[in-house]
Amino acid sequence: MTDLPLLSVLIFLPLAGCLLLLPVWNCRVSARPIALGVALIELALAAWLYASWRGLSTIPAQLPGYLLQEDAAWIPAFGIRYTLGLDGISLLMVMLTAFTFCVALTVSWNSITEKTGLFLTLMLVMESGIMGVFLALDLALFYLFWEVMLIPMFFLIGVWGHGRRIYSTIKFFLFTMFGSLLMLLAIVALHLTHAQQTGVATFGLHELLGTQIAPETQLWLFGAFFLAFAIKFPLFPLHTWLPDAHTDAPTAGSVILAGLLLKTGSYGLIRFGYPLFPQAAQTLTPLLYALAVIGIIYASLVAFAQEDMKRLIAYSSIGHMGFVAIGIAAWQPVALSGSIIQMANHGVTTGALFCLVGMLDERAHTRDIRAFGGLWGKIPRYSFFFLFFSLASLGLPGLNNFVGEFLVLVGTMKKAPLVAALAFVGIVLTLVYTVRLVQEVLFQEERQPLPLADLSLREFSLLVVLALLDLWMGVHPAPLLDMIHLPVQLLTGTP
Amino acid sequence: MLGAYLPILLLVIVAIGFGLVSLVMSSLIGPKKFSVLKMSPYESGCEPVGTGQERFSIKFYLIAMLFILFDIEAVFLYPWAILYKKLGMFGLIEMGIFIVILFVGYIYVWKKGALEWE
Amino acid sequence: MDMITIPAVNFTPILPEIFLSVLAMVLLLINVFIPGDRKAYLGYLSFVGIVAAGVLVAAGWGGHIESFSGSVVLDNFATFFKMIFLVSAGLAVLISDQYMEREGCNHGELYPLILFTVVGMMLMASGTDLMTIFLGLEVMSVALYVLAGFNRKNPKSNEAGLKYFLLGCFSTGFLLYGMALTYGATGTTRIAKIAAVVGQMSLPSANIMLVAGMLLMLTGFAFKIAAAPFHMWTPDVYEGAPTPMTAFMSAGPKAAGFAAALRIFLVALPTLQVEWSQVLWVLAVLTMTVGNITALRQDNIKRMLAYSSIAHAGYALVGFTAGNGTGTAGILFYMLSYAFMNIGAFAIIILVGKKGESNGNVQDFAGFGVKHPVLAVAMSIFLFSLAGMPPTAGFIGKFYLFSGAIQQGYIWLAIIGVLNSAASVYYYLRVMVFMYMKDPTEEFDWMQVTAPMALCVAISVIGSLIPGIIPSLILQFAQQAIKLI
Repeated sequence: MTDLPLLSVLIFLPLAGCLLLLPVWNCRVSARPIALGVALIELALAAWLYASWRGLSTIPAQLPGYLLQEDAAWIPAFGIRYTLGLDGISLLMVMLTAFTFCVALTVSWNSITEKTGLFLTLMLVMESGIMGVFLALDLALFYLFWEVMLIPMFFLIGVWGHGRRIYSTIKFFLFTMFGSLLMLLAIVALHLTHAQQTGVATFGLHELLGTQIAPETQLWLFGAFFLAFAIKFPLFPLHTWLPDAHTDAPTAGSVILAGLLLKTGSYGLIRFGYPLFPQAAQTLTPLLYALAVIGIIYASLVAFAQEDMKRLIAYSSIGHMGFVAIGIAAWQPVALSGSIIQMANHGVTTGALFCLVGMLDERAHTRDIRAFGGLWGKIPRYSFFFLFFSLASLGLPGLNNFVGEFLVLVGTMKKAPLVAALAFVGIVLTLVYTVRLVQEVLFQEERQPLPLADLSLREFSLLVVLALLDLWMGVHPAPLLDMIHLPVQLLTGTP
Repeated sequence: MLGAYLPILLLVIVAIGFGLVSLVMSSLIGPKKFSVLKMSPYESGCEPVGTGQERFSIKFYLIAMLFILFDIEAVFLYPWAILYKKLGMFGLIEMGIFIVILFVGYIYVWKKGALEWE
Repeated sequence: MDMITIPAVNFTPILPEIFLSVLAMVLLLINVFIPGDRKAYLGYLSFVGIVAAGVLVAAGWGGHIESFSGSVVLDNFATFFKMIFLVSAGLAVLISDQYMEREGCNHGELYPLILFTVVGMMLMASGTDLMTIFLGLEVMSVALYVLAGFNRKNPKSNEAGLKYFLLGCFSTGFLLYGMALTYGATGTTRIAKIAAVVGQMSLPSANIMLVAGMLLMLTGFAFKIAAAPFHMWTPDVYEGAPTPMTAFMSAGPKAAGFAAALRIFLVALPTLQVEWSQVLWVLAVLTMTVGNITALRQDNIKRMLAYSSIAHAGYALVGFTAGNGTGTAGILFYMLSYAFMNIGAFAIIILVGKKGESNGNVQDFAGFGVKHPVLAVAMSIFLFSLAGMPPTAGFIGKFYLFSGAIQQGYIWLAIIGVLNSAASVYYYLRVMVFMYMKDPTEEFDWMQVTAPMALCVAISVIGSLIPGIIPSLILQFAQQAIKLI
């Protein structure tokens, strides 16, 4: 099985699935199962990789810590190669991607009624793009997939979204594009510096790792990379695109945005930003700490004031990603492991929360908190899951977010105790707005009589799967932590 | 090397100066007595008929342009006529191609009706 | 009687030009002898002729033949640019017939004029003497003046033609004066000999006549490629000219201007590179910025694409400023991919438009994505390519150009270029927003997609995507083409 170019299959399988959709473009009933089928095959492939990662790690690979690699010449004129690599961190992200797309396709089963063929095609193309981002090891290839991710999301928000969808999608696209273009210049500059020093023109990550760069230049280059990733995280004050994009996107779009697109920023920083420019990263660590902490506290405070449920969860995402940022800034094995686990945790939990809000939106056609109340008595099963995932989001021990936040705090305590203390304050603030949300929506007196049906079988099974996954990640995170142990050690340079 | 052109520059200055000075002097020194007859346009002693701004028919322009084209063709044929014997076959073919190209243009103009006066 | 010895002349370098000229004359004659409703055959015939000329041009790859005592050359550089011209002419011919029928123009003369323009452009690309380049420029320009004003019944078209004519003649005067001053300073108009003479001068930049000549030539060329601040004619001319001719004008003559300018500045005046790259730096920044910022406010889509073509000339000028191998090869690659994406976009505009160009605004694209999904996807590909998104050819072109600039140390130029790219995304996205995210306001029933238009769109889509996914195909030709420069 390892003779197949598995990584390329992971990337291009969804694209091939788009071709399968062409004959049933206009027939909604047959197109949806085909798309979901392709996503499930992808998930099966990711699950197989997970099941066999220990076996793969015993095969000596070209690079230490990598499980699988692929390399082929692509554009010799520039020195760009088609290089893909899978290590523990990427595997976690790949699994998250495959799983999240299944979730997104399932949750939008009934809610997307027009231009379904186009919608499903865009989802599959985006899956390819995001897989590519997590697997690419050549900087130019990474940049290509980074940009390709944007295009389907632009259409997704703009066509099937609601509210100020056109404004939100253009803002999202332009904001992200601006950062990415500066990153492109930094990539080219890095390539040229390396070519000047060693005479080898290459864009491959591992060839570029040893380049000697003058400190000021390094600062500029890292700054460009950091800008692009900070916009995606998002870090305060570059977060302004996120509330609009999340709120005005359709449910599937929000799930993908929160679950995956935000993680591409942190993944990029871990994989490319820090290893390529270590000194500059150390210099900017205080800035990253500051922005992350301000982000957590600011986002939590603003979330408390929100009336739109989706906007509230969007701001909570900023807060959670702030934790991820702190863990990365600490650059210490425990904290970094915590960050990476938190990336996966957040994907599951917030994805589930957006699903829940989407389901409520489909029924009541509103997301305003003030319209709801007393759902616990009316739709008990839905309310159970709402409470469950809200508790997960605020970091209840036993559920997945706790693991990530705990590891981040422990790791950061060693390096920067003040930051850890402030982050802890952030957790308390998270508690505040989550409790407010749960109380107003589930437990308060019913404010408007709304005809709400409880969960259908499809929704119920989806939420059960998410809840079990959440529980498993919270109670038994050891296998995942094992998986990322070696890459994290190699990245942070500890023996 | 540029100094050789100095007389020409002087000539140009004198020429322009002559014209300018005449105009300026006449407007400064000359008497200004306006009358309707003096200011009306000159038409060989006759009374002016109609407005001074008639639209020119485009056919005058066309005829002038066609004349220029075929006249230049004739001008290019003169040197060939002088060196006819010395250029031999090569000259014949070369000028033949030249004439054919212009002949194509002539046929085009003819068929398009530009040679009709009305 | 002593015969005059005729110098041996090798006609191979100008074989495509001869072929196209003869074809154009034949078409001219056929045009007057056939009735009005058969004019489409002229279009098919000219397309076949262009393809045949393409074969002829491609056969000349890899050689280096000088002819006419060194004033015309057949080398890879010329061959590459000739292919660009033929591509733009071929695509323009494909989309003209339907448009001209719709507007009610008598369009038999269109095809010979396009072919004559191509002949002029080819001369510009393969000329190695200032006079040959000027000759080619004039042949191209005169035919273009007529093409811009081709739609006699439309006052906008007349305005476009007249404006182009007046401003073009004016700029040609500058160019010629610059050439004359260069001749005065060096004593020759052969590009190779100019390089030799300038190379032997002790301090070329102190020679005022030479520097003035260089600057004036730069002005003349800047007009032709629509660089700011010599771009004022572009929006009016592009908006008023018949849309297929706008498409042609945006791709072919721009490439021709770059071809001639590259040859003159990189081969004849490399010792003055410090001077002219400073000027070009300013030109590039101005052009990119003016083009992008003004395009943001445009409602008429032809005017918007006119300003965007000014901006694209600015990106190419970035590569020109760099002047190194990467930058120059980037210009060649960019000109080719630009021809495909821009003419493709104009083809879709023709399909959306109505008689009298009453459907000229961006808002008229509303709902296009629903009614004609395939064409909307094609338009999206063209727009993404123009914006420079991977994996399209536009991205690779910009990548190449900005790499060249960074390689030469022009970091700020690259940063400005990248910021301009980001800004330009907005107005390209706006069209896509209307296509997909707004409800249709009118029916698109009048649109007939004829076979030639479909062929043009298909070729343009391939030309916009393939060089983005497998750039090596074109890049190796571009890199070989600049080896002798």
